[in-house]
Amino acid sequence: MSQESLTPAELLQQRNRRTGLTIFQISWILVFVCLVIVNWQLRGNHPSWPPPGVNAPSALLPGLATLGLLASAWLARAATRSLAAGSRAAFRRQWRAALALGALFLLVMGYEWLSIPVSGIYSDVFRMMTAFHLLHALAIGLFMSMIARGAGAGRVSAQNLWPAEGATGLWYFVVVAWLLFFPVLYLI
Amino acid sequence: MATITATPGLGSRTTEGAAIRAADLLRWSLDHKVIGLQYMASSLFFFIVGGTMAMLIRWELLTPALDLMADGTQYNALMTIHGSVMIFLWIIPMMAGFGNYLVPLMLGAKDMAFPWLNAFAFWLIPPAGVLMIAGWLVGPPEAGWTSYPPLSTLFSPDGQTMWAMSLHLLGVSSILGAINFVVTIRNMRPAGMTIWKMPLFVWAVLATAIIQVLATPFLTGGLTLLILDRTAGTSFFDPGSGGDVLLWQNVFWFYSHPAVYIMILPGFGMVSEVLAVHARKPVFGYRAIGLSSMSIALVGFTVWAHHMFTSLQPALRIPFMITSMIIAVPTGIKIFSWLGTIWGGKIRFTAAMLFALGFITLFVFGGIGGIFLAAVPVDIHLHDTYFVVGHFHFVLFGGSVFLIFAGIYHWFPKMTGRRMNERLGQLHFVTTYIGTFFTFVPQHIAGALGLPRRVAMYDPAFTNINTVISLAAFLLGISSLIFMYNILRSLSHGERVGGNPWRGLTLEWATTSPPPPWNFRGDPVPFDDPYGYGSDESGPYLDAVERRFPAPEEAAGA
Repeated sequence: MSQESLTPAELLQQRNRRTGLTIFQISWILVFVCLVIVNWQLRGNHPSWPPPGVNAPSALLPGLATLGLLASAWLARAATRSLAAGSRAAFRRQWRAALALGALFLLVMGYEWLSIPVSGIYSDVFRMMTAFHLLHALAIGLFMSMIARGAGAGRVSAQNLWPAEGATGLWYFVVVAWLLFFPVLYLI
Repeated sequence: MATITATPGLGSRTTEGAAIRAADLLRWSLDHKVIGLQYMASSLFFFIVGGTMAMLIRWELLTPALDLMADGTQYNALMTIHGSVMIFLWIIPMMAGFGNYLVPLMLGAKDMAFPWLNAFAFWLIPPAGVLMIAGWLVGPPEAGWTSYPPLSTLFSPDGQTMWAMSLHLLGVSSILGAINFVVTIRNMRPAGMTIWKMPLFVWAVLATAIIQVLATPFLTGGLTLLILDRTAGTSFFDPGSGGDVLLWQNVFWFYSHPAVYIMILPGFGMVSEVLAVHARKPVFGYRAIGLSSMSIALVGFTVWAHHMFTSLQPALRIPFMITSMIIAVPTGIKIFSWLGTIWGGKIRFTAAMLFALGFITLFVFGGIGGIFLAAVPVDIHLHDTYFVVGHFHFVLFGGSVFLIFAGIYHWFPKMTGRRMNERLGQLHFVTTYIGTFFTFVPQHIAGALGLPRRVAMYDPAFTNINTVISLAAFLLGISSLIFMYNILRSLSHGERVGGNPWRGLTLEWATTSPPPPWNFRGDPVPFDDPYGYGSDESGPYLDAVERRFPAPEEAAGA
């Protein structure tokens, strides 16, 4: 729906929603920042990290999953643009691909969570951070799948774009949160 | 009965009757006024709950031996829940209640930006309150409102987990409410109201909301770790297993020191309104007050470790001492501006004004106590003594609670269409002022003499001073009963008022009392200067408002 066709009240509503989502993203990402700081404070108490006798997990598979997550966000953005342009078929295709890549990321990180050996504080921090992120990715991913169904039923469309736009914004949030965690968990 | 629809997403409301009934407070409502009153009513309930606990605490401390409690653990539980209820379920939600009720009105808006989210944020509070109090059924939390590990991880029963879950809910509620405030204030100001023409209460709510969206996530992070340590066998706060006991203190205070400003900044905004209206003077230093709210919000993020001077690395003490001293500057600017506002004014000593003036005197005293505690050498001497208890109660009761009382006396006519009884209000003020002074000043003295905090039994040498403190605290209890009686009585017997009983210039007064469902009939036009009292234009404007929204008796006579 073009901006020109919106009434002043609808424009205000759109502006409010976008501002609200941005502030939510800024606010909630700070929980993830807090957990990164927790990681840093805990590792600062140890002469080496991981502690002696603990092997750091390989970054290869999670690295590939991270690339998949980035591609997923790009596809979600493309899908929303397609829907705004009135192309529902393109939206469905791109949105489903985004969901598939997101599901793949969830599977990989679920495997990582399960496979890390219990090693005290190191595995505690690793599991806490990955689980915290996974829960967010899962919840927002489920919301995105509801959007897919809504689009199929015609409830989400160019005339009612906000659900797709909002879900895409939340998926960006999942990506940014993971980009904060990934280096701390696997690279540094 | 007509039904109208406003902005998309806000739904429809009946236009019949503006008054909000008691039963409305128990229902899901999207009206910001109902939600504001829901916050305030539930906060007052928790004020009674927390206040009753305070009375029990002071009863126990009348003598050095155990009187009421079977053992020290019972006392620890009482003190923990008293502090948590007073902070998280009384002061913070009460400030949110004022914000919810007043911000859309002051902006000339029909409602908040997200009414559904607004209602949802409120309805997280009752279950959080139940979780907090119901901890008693499974073994109450005993680690104090700060809940430092290992007390909160190894030595406190399951109620401590419920305490953490309760705070989780309250944190989410706080963030959602704050998002709503920021969006409403940013996007929904009327034409002609630039940020430099916003009422100072709105400035204060904006500064508070910024703190809430940026600080509360850290509490969420810390609580998540605490719950995991208690329930999932992790060891984030256990140094014996590679964790760090100071981790909680850092995360907790990174939220909780800014939370001090969450509890006081909206009150700073309220006092600016009350002083200007009841002194009939323009606010002195409008921009300085608005910007000092923002300064406090920003500097408030750099002072958290002054709560940890005794456990902090020595090299970090001085930087945090300096930032803690610096934050007194914007607060001092406000005090100076408020004094400038009332200087030479035509002061009306209403109950609202008395509480506002009382706040200034008490807050200066409390603030000076804060300077003591910001100085590292003094703080190390006073750490964990009653001086700390006296200080934070002085700024919270003499500060936040006095401002809440001032705000209720000031805006009660707007919310109900009736004025509170002034004589009872003055009695309430006198008893509260005396009670506050003689409860919390002697606590400073006892602390400086070495009385430790958080103990049910103490050295008999402190008996006399504790007796004075307890008797003064009981006077505070009586004063609160006077206040509650005044509210209940005024709801049915208070003098009926028109739209603008105090002749205020901000927009909430340019509508009926109480306001209609969508706040205004038509789009209100803000007066050019919200604090232009005494200007040539203000008199005719106020007269016109009075004619348009007269008291019911005057309207019937006309």
